[in-house]
Amino acid sequence: LADLLNMCTSQQLSFVRQYVDPLLKKDPFTSLPNEICLRVGSQSNFLRWAMLIRLLQQILSCIDGPKVLARASQVSQRWRELISDDVTWMKLCAKHGYGRRMSEAHITTPPFPSLRPPPNPIQGNFDGESPYSFPGVIAAAPHIQGSSRSFDSATSSAVLRRPRMRSYKYHFKQRYLVDMAWRTGGRNIARHITQDQGVVTSLHLTPKYIVVALDNAKIHVFNTDGNAQKTLQGHVMGVWAMVPWEDTLVSGGCDRDVRVWDMSTGESLHTLRGHTSTVRCLKMSDANTAISGSRDTTLRVWDIRTGLCKNVLVGHQASVRCLEIKGDIVVSGSYDTMARVWSISEGRCLRTLQGHFSQIYAIAFDGKRIATGSLDTSVRIWDPNNGSCQAILQGHTSLVGQLQMRGNTLVTGGSDGSVRVWSLEKMAPIHRLAAHDNSVTSLQFDDTRVVSGGSDGRVKVWDLKTGQLVRELTAPAEAVWRVAFEEEKCVVMASRSNRTIMEVWSFSPPEEQVM
Amino acid sequence: MAETQPSTFITLASNDSGSVTVERAVAERSMLIKNMLEDLGEGAVASEIPIPNVGEQVLKKVIEWCQHHKNDPITANDDDSDSRKKTTDIEEWDQKFMQVDQEMLFEIILASNYLDIKPLLDVGCKTVANMIKGKSPEEIRKTFNITNDFTPEEEEQIRRENEWAEDR
Repeated sequence: LADLLNMCTSQQLSFVRQYVDPLLKKDPFTSLPNEICLRVGSQSNFLRWAMLIRLLQQILSCIDGPKVLARASQVSQRWRELISDDVTWMKLCAKHGYGRRMSEAHITTPPFPSLRPPPNPIQGNFDGESPYSFPGVIAAAPHIQGSSRSFDSATSSAVLRRPRMRSYKYHFKQRYLVDMAWRTGGRNIARHITQDQGVVTSLHLTPKYIVVALDNAKIHVFNTDGNAQKTLQGHVMGVWAMVPWEDTLVSGGCDRDVRVWDMSTGESLHTLRGHTSTVRCLKMSDANTAISGSRDTTLRVWDIRTGLCKNVLVGHQASVRCLEIKGDIVVSGSYDTMARVWSISEGRCLRTLQGHFSQIYAIAFDGKRIATGSLDTSVRIWDPNNGSCQAILQGHTSLVGQLQMRGNTLVTGGSDGSVRVWSLEKMAPIHRLAAHDNSVTSLQFDDTRVVSGGSDGRVKVWDLKTGQLVRELTAPAEAVWRVAFEEEKCVVMASRSNRTIMEVWSFSPPEEQVM
Repeated sequence: MAETQPSTFITLASNDSGSVTVERAVAERSMLIKNMLEDLGEGAVASEIPIPNVGEQVLKKVIEWCQHHKNDPITANDDDSDSRKKTTDIEEWDQKFMQVDQEMLFEIILASNYLDIKPLLDVGCKTVANMIKGKSPEEIRKTFNITNDFTPEEEEQIRRENEWAEDR
């Protein structure tokens, strides 16, 4: 701060003086006696003020709740001025971990990818505008974005619409209100999406759409508020896999076809034929390339613009259940108990990951590590470069069917109803959440929370750091098929009174409350 | 280091002509004194070290704290680690130590800042923060003897501005 003052022009200094003088004459903490100020006389006046402000800031930075600050700011004019200083709120943001996403956006924003929006565009603006840097926070955010799980790339359109942020106080308030809404509030709209009891097989949130696939062959496209836009009809049997990319959707299922759709028009663009059994998993590596995995034991690489199959990846001995893409590498998990690492461009298998004793049901891959979940109840972590098994994570007592990896954190869910949080640095468990009475059907987490859905009909929100149950979202249903969330929104697909229902929860604070 | 060598004592001179003799290792909890001793070399250890910004009473109090915390590990970099600490995390001995009148409390804070004793500064600031915590604006005014200089209209407006942070 002393350095800062040294850089100031005399005009700026006199402004500082106007601001600081009252603090000295009649300091909020009245006990700072005048004689102390006199005693420090050997130091320059500005340094003295700087020191006092620093001390007061430090006292305020010990306060970790906004409620205390809010009350303190009602004490007197001077307290109010002091507390409205954005440094106080910047520190509070750091304490609550509200700085993290800013730094992520800071890193990911500039070369704005044309195909996928960055995780949080708005904060890019905010960070650029801010006079304060957030060094500690940037260093503490090694998380890698861009996994092909759809919710990772999803961004709330509500966030996009909001005005540019002006201050840390605004940012804090906004995030705090969202947090509070997640804990105790939120608004919910419910929609019956089908008259009969369709099983929801897949759910994706994107910046523009909510997409739902059913085992009755239909795909429903909603806008982000949950209003029906299009129904994509063409599949003749259940849809079991799909992947959205901007306005494009690629889907597959029991009829063995892979279909390419335009969600904005509802048009079916291509029907890609080749698989000889159910298509069970689908991912995209870029805007033109989709990869499907099938019960026919193969993976197929498709050019979805021309509608041609570019490659067939042969090697698995049984159904391909799950796949994940990063760059030119696709990893697949199969009922043959093995996972395979493939080069997309070369169309060949690079490595076979052997070790599970039973079928693989879930896979995650971030470029550095591969995680697989199996019916043998274990989770294995693999090195994609040499195919070695780095760790076997044990604890689940039944099939591990849900798995998400984010930075050094892995969260798994099993048919035993438990959700487990693991550290990939220590290759050790962090939390064991007794989540559901029956299987975990759906699982997602971000920096703050874990949301799980179970076939016991419940949706639970957990604190990632403490492992505590934050709340149970929505009234218990007969079954929860799928749950997906982003910062200010959560979509629940459930069965109530034998009908398939979609609930869209919004945790965005009302505009007037944030301003 | 201090344990293995025979302890040396140094004398600190307060600004009100008091002097306090203290084990060197204890005084070196103050980064200011530590750096000063290093800069001046061993010759300076023998003479009185002037502490021009601190009175005898406060200096003694600060030294009492340093004595008790003589063997604490030196805390590493500041911001990252204390941002995680809770306001209420003050160890029992320190809580008792800080049970002084407000004037002494602020003198300790100022002295620990001047002498660069970060953990003591932390404890002092946390103590003040705890005095603010959990109080209504009126109670805070009473605690620190502050006059409410808001007009009733302003007060109402500010109350509304801050409503969002109250528990709902």
